[in-house]
Amino acid sequence: MRKLVFIIAGVLLLVLLIVAGCVAVSEPAPGEEVSTCVTCHSDKDLLKQTASVVEEEKSEETAGEG
Amino acid sequence: MEVWQKVFLKDAEFVQSTHGKVGCVICHGGDSSAEEKEIAHVALVIDPSETSCNTCHKDIACMNDISLHTTVSGMQSALEARGGNLEEGSPLATAFENHCAECHTSCGQCHVSRPDETGGGLVSGHEFRETPSTQYNCVACHGARVGDEYLGNNEGIPADVHWTQATMTCTDCHSQELHGSGQLVDTRYQNPETVKCEDCHQDVWTNTEDNPQHEQHLSDLSCQVCHSLAYKNCYNCHVAVDEKGIPCRTSDPSEMHFEIGYNPIRSSERPYKYVVLRHIPDCADTCDYYGDNLLPDFNALPTWKYATPHNIQLNTPQNESCNACHGNEDLFLTEEDVNEAEKEANRGVIVEEIPSP
Repeated sequence: MRKLVFIIAGVLLLVLLIVAGCVAVSEPAPGEEVSTCVTCHSDKDLLKQTASVVEEEKSEETAGEG
Repeated sequence: MEVWQKVFLKDAEFVQSTHGKVGCVICHGGDSSAEEKEIAHVALVIDPSETSCNTCHKDIACMNDISLHTTVSGMQSALEARGGNLEEGSPLATAFENHCAECHTSCGQCHVSRPDETGGGLVSGHEFRETPSTQYNCVACHGARVGDEYLGNNEGIPADVHWTQATMTCTDCHSQELHGSGQLVDTRYQNPETVKCEDCHQDVWTNTEDNPQHEQHLSDLSCQVCHSLAYKNCYNCHVAVDEKGIPCRTSDPSEMHFEIGYNPIRSSERPYKYVVLRHIPDCADTCDYYGDNLLPDFNALPTWKYATPHNIQLNTPQNESCNACHGNEDLFLTEEDVNEAEKEANRGVIVEEIPSP
């Protein structure tokens, strides 16, 4: 009987550990991700410091009437 | 627009929107957990329209894939009709890729940001706007001709009555057609969804008794022949080289004209004999920077093209009276109005005999 209690307790503990483990490694739901994208792109001063132009091999004189 | 403004979210409210809840990296790639800009932006997709929109908006995205806005197939088919070879790697294909193809747009460049060709940049944070902005999207590209006509920016020519009296925006008339019809077309006039005046002004067709001019001319003249004013015409588009040696587009100054000619695309849908014609900037040696005689059959299409000027008025100088138009040579595209080198190309649209007074 005592043995059986230990086995059941062990199984329960194992189940609890697995559940806890799953929660710990699960992916964040969409929109709940830890994102620096929004943090940086909402910070005007930071953007002013870091925004840069991607240089293109394109004539500045290129212009057309559309 | 400053560079930082182009990517500024303004506020974090976007995160709570339907698109915001999807998360940034799903569409844009990159690494949202990185704190260094360079690392966060590895494999970043600035405009993910091509790969992301069709995940949820499959029907409209697939249809739009072959629309004129996406493919600029109108330009391609015109070049091919003039004998141009657009096979991959050909000189004309290179010219097209460098100077014409950039005028295409994507889902995002209408619904989220300004078009790339006009410098790009978010229109209103990262808000997805079902209806594109007339100012920042439509007119950003279609500004010099349609936009200036519609808003009255051409000196001495009033704005379109749909703007001055009803403040109608582009999408009040042009809606579904902007995504194409699901078929590859050469011009917007081939799209059955393309808006027509009579879509709203049905009474003009059903009630002609009170208007003898309509009774006489409805099937002969496009609406713009009587109800539009002088509009912008463009000439001599060329690939030139700038001071740094980089090829660039140039064209001669545009000119304001009003020219009635024969309809070059007459069909059951557009049966009019007379329409207004706009001069397009193409010429036989437009792309000569990339090779000689790239448009060997240039005269296959006219350079005065079917036009729908956007400066509509109820009353115009030509509809004041019968003889304001009949016998008035100034209104018609005649032999004298056409450049010698383009006469053959325009033979089918030049009016040989002006309607008599």
